[in-house]
Amino acid sequence: MDQRPVSEGGGTPNWHLSAPTNTKAQGLVVSGFANLPTGRALFLEFSWKGVKKKGGGAWVEALRKVAQVTDADGRDPRAVAMGFTWSGLQKMGLNQNALASFDRPFKEGMFQEDRLRRLGDRRGEEWQGTVIPGGPKWSGNTPLDDAAVDDEARAFDDREEIREQRIKTPVTVHALVLLYCEHDEAAEAWCAEVSAALAPFEVTVSHHLPLDLRLDKQGIAREHFGFADGISQPIPFEEGTVVYKDGTEVPKDYWNGVPLGEILMGHMNGHNEIAQGPVVADGIGDTSGLPEHPRGVGFKDLGLNGSYMVVRELKQDVYAFWQSMRAGAAYIRERDPEGSAHVTTTWLAERVVGRDTHGNLLCPLGGTIPVENNDFGFWDRDRHGHGCPMGSHVRRANPRDGLAPTPADKQTLLDAANNHRILRRGRKYGKTISVPPTPDDVDRGLLFICLNTDITRQFEFVQQTWILNPNFAFLYDETDPLIGPKGTMTIPENPLRRIIDVETFVQMAGGEYFFLPSMPALDYLGSL
Amino acid sequence: MGMRQTTLSVALEVKPESFDHLSGLLDALRDRRSQNPSGGTGPFADFLTTVPAVHFMSLTAFPGFDYDPLFVIEANFDGAPGPFWAQLEAAIGPDLRAFLRCCKRPLDHTGPLFDAVTAPDSRAPIAPYLEARTLTPTVYHHGNRGMTRDRILDESKLFLGTRTELAQSNDGGPSPYRKLTPVEIHAKLRAALLPQFGWLDQKAPARIPFTQSVGDYLRLAWFVLLVVFALSIPGLVLKSQLSWQWYVALCVGLFALFTGILYRMGKPLPGTATPTRFSFLTFFLRHLLVPVAIAVAAYVAIAATLSAPVWSWIGHKAFWPAWKDMAIWAAWSGASIAVTVAGILVWLRWLERRDASQDAPPVDPKMLREMARREDWIPQNHMGSVVLIKPGVLRAILIRVGHHGLHLLLRAQKAARNGYLGSMRTIHFAHWARVNNDSRLMFFSNFDQTWESYLDDFIEKAHAGLTLAWSSGVGFPPTRFLVKDGASHGRQFKEWARHSMAVSRFWYSAYKDLTAEQVERNYRIACGLRKKQLSEKEAAAWINDL
Repeated sequence: MDQRPVSEGGGTPNWHLSAPTNTKAQGLVVSGFANLPTGRALFLEFSWKGVKKKGGGAWVEALRKVAQVTDADGRDPRAVAMGFTWSGLQKMGLNQNALASFDRPFKEGMFQEDRLRRLGDRRGEEWQGTVIPGGPKWSGNTPLDDAAVDDEARAFDDREEIREQRIKTPVTVHALVLLYCEHDEAAEAWCAEVSAALAPFEVTVSHHLPLDLRLDKQGIAREHFGFADGISQPIPFEEGTVVYKDGTEVPKDYWNGVPLGEILMGHMNGHNEIAQGPVVADGIGDTSGLPEHPRGVGFKDLGLNGSYMVVRELKQDVYAFWQSMRAGAAYIRERDPEGSAHVTTTWLAERVVGRDTHGNLLCPLGGTIPVENNDFGFWDRDRHGHGCPMGSHVRRANPRDGLAPTPADKQTLLDAANNHRILRRGRKYGKTISVPPTPDDVDRGLLFICLNTDITRQFEFVQQTWILNPNFAFLYDETDPLIGPKGTMTIPENPLRRIIDVETFVQMAGGEYFFLPSMPALDYLGSL
Repeated sequence: MGMRQTTLSVALEVKPESFDHLSGLLDALRDRRSQNPSGGTGPFADFLTTVPAVHFMSLTAFPGFDYDPLFVIEANFDGAPGPFWAQLEAAIGPDLRAFLRCCKRPLDHTGPLFDAVTAPDSRAPIAPYLEARTLTPTVYHHGNRGMTRDRILDESKLFLGTRTELAQSNDGGPSPYRKLTPVEIHAKLRAALLPQFGWLDQKAPARIPFTQSVGDYLRLAWFVLLVVFALSIPGLVLKSQLSWQWYVALCVGLFALFTGILYRMGKPLPGTATPTRFSFLTFFLRHLLVPVAIAVAAYVAIAATLSAPVWSWIGHKAFWPAWKDMAIWAAWSGASIAVTVAGILVWLRWLERRDASQDAPPVDPKMLREMARREDWIPQNHMGSVVLIKPGVLRAILIRVGHHGLHLLLRAQKAARNGYLGSMRTIHFAHWARVNNDSRLMFFSNFDQTWESYLDDFIEKAHAGLTLAWSSGVGFPPTRFLVKDGASHGRQFKEWARHSMAVSRFWYSAYKDLTAEQVERNYRIACGLRKKQLSEKEAAAWINDL
């Protein structure tokens, strides 16, 4: 199966999982299903009251009959992937101790007050400009946990209790089903089939999004602003587990290699540890299909070959983007009429992204690195960002060796950066805008999906320490010009950098952390 | 004249019954200073003017697990402690007194001072008590060494001034700067900013005065000589008792034995190995061989010179023959240092292989949430941690000698003087100090970015140095030869660090939106603008920072 989207051709061959892992992991791990151009994201809500004592997983079994989750052992005519929120697992009746064994970010949910601040979505009482007006539509609505308030009675305690605010969204999402197939009618019919199969179990589709690759004539998948998307993914390695199609071992890729444990729980990760996953005590439900946990005596490994799936619905305002680029380019020309012949709206948009619209990386002196070549660092060829600006989206999303203070530190910084990679599996939703863009009311954007095993060290680190860091790469008071809030962007050029204003074009409309179970773990959840 | 920065802490035992009350008082002080948790528009403004020396300050109450709770004042400021304490007392004197009343009366000679300060309606100055209780850090690190707070603030204003000038000069029309060369841009910008920033005409004060630098180097050299002397003592004793043949045979034999043992014991215990590019041999050959050779040679020369008069008097010899005797003796003992070091490493490794590390340190979720509530409002964050120190003679020596050596090295090494630890420059002020009668190690840091990214930096970019400084803590992840593995066990190390931390209830930063890198960037810009004229080469480098 293809692990990379169509836009990325050539380069290194695709990686696969060997047996038996390939029948244990979900297909989404190894593939974005680029051969299946249409899809649907169905956000499910469990409408029953409270927590089910028995039969909470019956709907999973029913779903299996109409939409069997795809494993990772080869190409299927249709594909399905599925994840659960913490609140969903709770409602399904997963054992309390098992629920407590998940990683903190997943248990607390993306909308925990402090987490929202770190992700740049909300500060104190206020949603930020990078969230749709009125606040996001959906989340897992994770309940507050015991740590939210310290109300334990203690002798000699006279402190005021600080009660954490519970941040709720109108729509609650308990599980996410991703359907991939060949064309739109089939997808529509399939959705109806799935909804009908789930209805008797009080499982409703509370929100849905059409997902499209919508390749252009050159076979490039573009996001709504018009740029080739899904370029540059980490390449996992693990002796005996990660292989090429012909069965030979995938070696550690110098530039983009990450240990498999960065993507799959239960495997060695980039910090020299086994990536932690959830566990369940042996005999709580039908645990016969689950492997033994390597450390917890009497426990089964619910996490092995599973992952955490970060999902964020990012609404894109295409008209505003190009409008802002036009205004920025006009400002540069106004301030520098004689030295700005090369500055066009597209030129500026490419600096914001860091690649041209075909996905080729911008280099100093006007050159590019072709999209299929992902083996490069920034330090040697573009240290000061005269080609690909320091603050551009691609450089913030993966700085490679570019943050090294001296040449001697290049290797350390590259290795460090690769400990913060995510495997992206997102797709766009909504109709393509007219050319040239005109304002309309169409809801369009990107359903950002990524897989990682340590949400804090991977997704949240990328978002907080790179994308939204106002001091990234010695910059001052500016964040990601593409997906960050309204602000400034510095474009290094000779003799003097240019600084332009950029608006907000991308707004979060909903999001949550999901558990992407392995096939055996999915069977276990179905048996609840 | 450059002003010295002071980093210190005061650790006071708290009455257990008053711990929660003290935490509440610290929270209240924080709330009174800042309604907006992110700082808002100048909520600390009064603090900024009433305590003009302070860079960073924290007040923390560590809960009592192994000992009674601990109240710690951590302060990083310009100049000497005396004026700082006076300023602080003027600013928050009544609060400080209330905090001190929650603390236990010390059992040493500072008891009467404590009584005077905490008596009802006391008006006795607090400063003397705090000065008497001040701890000297065993190691400290300054990311922007020699930059006074006011200079940092002034240069930050200058930086913003350059931005405004470049953005608004001939607003609405072509920018006059775009057609100029870097040299001309510098001249024009300087002319435009000079009226507003008159200090650009003054010579920049040296960040690290010459005398201070000389002191840094001399202290390190003296320390190295003492260590060489200490390590050569077994050789001195043996050589005085043995013929050179026996001495050589013994040294070679022991060295072979020790290295043989080390070869076997040096391998990581199963499951504790982490891949590293760090190699002792390469490190030794590249960075240590020459300095060690010089240090031993210097030791031989100095030892001979110091002991020759004594020997010439005892042995009735002329000075130079006596000097020669002594030099030969010292040289023989110098050759034995390798054996002594190998022996100490065997001892260390023997201890390390039996160390109990904590795979899953317990972290209190409520405490963690209280920390999360206070973190990540500004680009800087704060951490305070206390850990127990591993027992044993060798550990006791290593933590003292190791920390002191690390401290002197950080003052003298070029990269560290420029603010770097490994390849990271994210620390403003950090320090280690021993508390509770030297049985616990305290660590404080004021750093840039998130706690997670700071710890990841340690794990990924400076794990050897960090492991060296912290592996003496009880429960630290398994370590080899003080620097290997250890902090490379990512999550285990992070949980260990979190588990040792307390909520930073009151924390103050005098320049909350400036990272250490930005302070240096502003400094480079200011240095350029102070000069009337830049060469083409200078201007080309300078303009990258604008």
